[in-house]
Amino acid sequence: MSDKRLKVIIAKPGLDGHDRGVKVVARALVEAGMEVVYLGLRQTPESIVRAAVEEDADVIGLSVLSGAHLANFRRVKELMNDAGIGGRLLTGGGIIPAGDQDELCALGIGRLFGPGDELQSIVDYIKAWDAGRRP
Amino acid sequence: MNPTDDAQFVLPPGLWEDFLSGGRLACARLISLIENEPFARTEIRDRLLPRPGGAVRIGVTGPPGVGKSTLTAALARRALDENHAVGIIAVDPTSPFTGGAFLGDRVRMHSLIGDPRVFIRSMAARDGRGGLSSAAPDAADILDAFGMDRIFIETLGVGQAELDVMTCADVLALVLQPGTGDAIQTLKAGIIETADLIIVNKTDMPGADDLLESLRFLFDSAGAAGKRNAPLLCSASAVEGRGLDEVWTALEGLIVRDRETGRLREKRRARLEGEIRTAISGSLWERYVALAGGTADIALLAERLSREGGSPYPFIRKECGRIKLVRDGRPELPPKKKE
Ligand SMILES: Nc1nc2c(ncn2[C@@H]2O[C@H](COP(=O)(O)OP(=O)(O)OP(=O)(O)O)[C@@H](O)[C@H]2O)c(=O)[nH]1
Ligand SMILES: [Mg+2]
Repeated sequence: MSDKRLKVIIAKPGLDGHDRGVKVVARALVEAGMEVVYLGLRQTPESIVRAAVEEDADVIGLSVLSGAHLANFRRVKELMNDAGIGGRLLTGGGIIPAGDQDELCALGIGRLFGPGDELQSIVDYIKAWDAGRRP
Repeated sequence: MNPTDDAQFVLPPGLWEDFLSGGRLACARLISLIENEPFARTEIRDRLLPRPGGAVRIGVTGPPGVGKSTLTAALARRALDENHAVGIIAVDPTSPFTGGAFLGDRVRMHSLIGDPRVFIRSMAARDGRGGLSSAAPDAADILDAFGMDRIFIETLGVGQAELDVMTCADVLALVLQPGTGDAIQTLKAGIIETADLIIVNKTDMPGADDLLESLRFLFDSAGAAGKRNAPLLCSASAVEGRGLDEVWTALEGLIVRDRETGRLREKRRARLEGEIRTAISGSLWERYVALAGGTADIALLAERLSREGGSPYPFIRKECGRIKLVRDGRPELPPKKKE
């Protein structure tokens, strides 16, 4: 009888300026029945994790286009661990070279999506992760 | 689903202790439990101890896009400057089709996030009424116990029907913007009695003076009609940071006034009475359903009456007549007689 719905933080760290892409992803997650907290542009890893704690979010999705993806994902993951939410899913998207993906994956960061991926594959991935963590 | 039956929900071990020692994540998880688990509410309410002084709940409501979040953030900043710890609960609508929600209020509150004395929580309205999630009042209680002194509760952008339903606020601010003039025509007596403060935001846009003028006219005529407590009227530009001192002073003035006159306590008393009545009727209903073996008879009757017409009250009287309150307080349904 629990009314639990997936809560997802969507944010864009760094300074690059458009949010059309992240908003499209956010909309797709809402359409899939998730509760999406949109933080907007120019977020710092600190502000993102702080929001994730206060929102008790299950998932953090970052959109990183600036090329600073390695530093951003690493730092967010580190802060998540410190805050006691290391078990939640950190995922996201951007133009991320395969080698970097492997490195981030080794840190426990989830799948990262590129411009060619379908929105539905993001939805499916989050849902599968959620199903997999339940006993 | 009986709200008065305990022992149906157990808090995860350690969570309460973490909350008491100031754990931000623990506070957030308690709010989630209230949102998600039907039995968590009573368990958590039983544990929340009264805190001397306690928080003041400031409701912020108004039509979509008038600047509720931007103003809330600006007022929260004022509150921090006065050394208050600040909680913010920001509600956005749930899609009736998918059950999902886009919670966008935090975008306007970014400037607050570095401050450890702030706790911001977004909430989807789900099936709550009055522009709020039904968990919002409990979330406010949790933030109160967490040590916040000023708790802002932002409703989703509400239409006319919902403007006057927000009973969980100690002080209610209604935000309007130029161009919502049409809305005024229909702001009837209800909102004049419930809003303590009306803020005309976006005074940097044309039409603010007209709006203020028509509001003044409305209140003057309400005053002439003998209605007490016309709301205070303020104007501001949240993005340009103008008028915020006046709004803050008006808010704090209202809080002081309502404390002194006992109005604050009366509002809380009324709120608690409402909660108690609702909980008892809900609980009795659940027991009735359990003892009557479901609601099939009710559904059948409604179906028949909708086709054939007629009064439901003979059935209601008969059913209520079967409920006996016995000494231990449990209602009993004697077995149904064969008709
Ligand atoms: N010109 C002007 N724009 C403002 C002012 N305050 C807020 N806005 C803008 O109005 C838009 C909506 O502001 P929000 O604070 O999100 O409004 P809201 O009432 O919380 O919106 P909902 O929660 O979606 O109902 C944003 O683009 C703000 O920048 C103001 O004083 N002047
Ligand atoms: Mg808002």
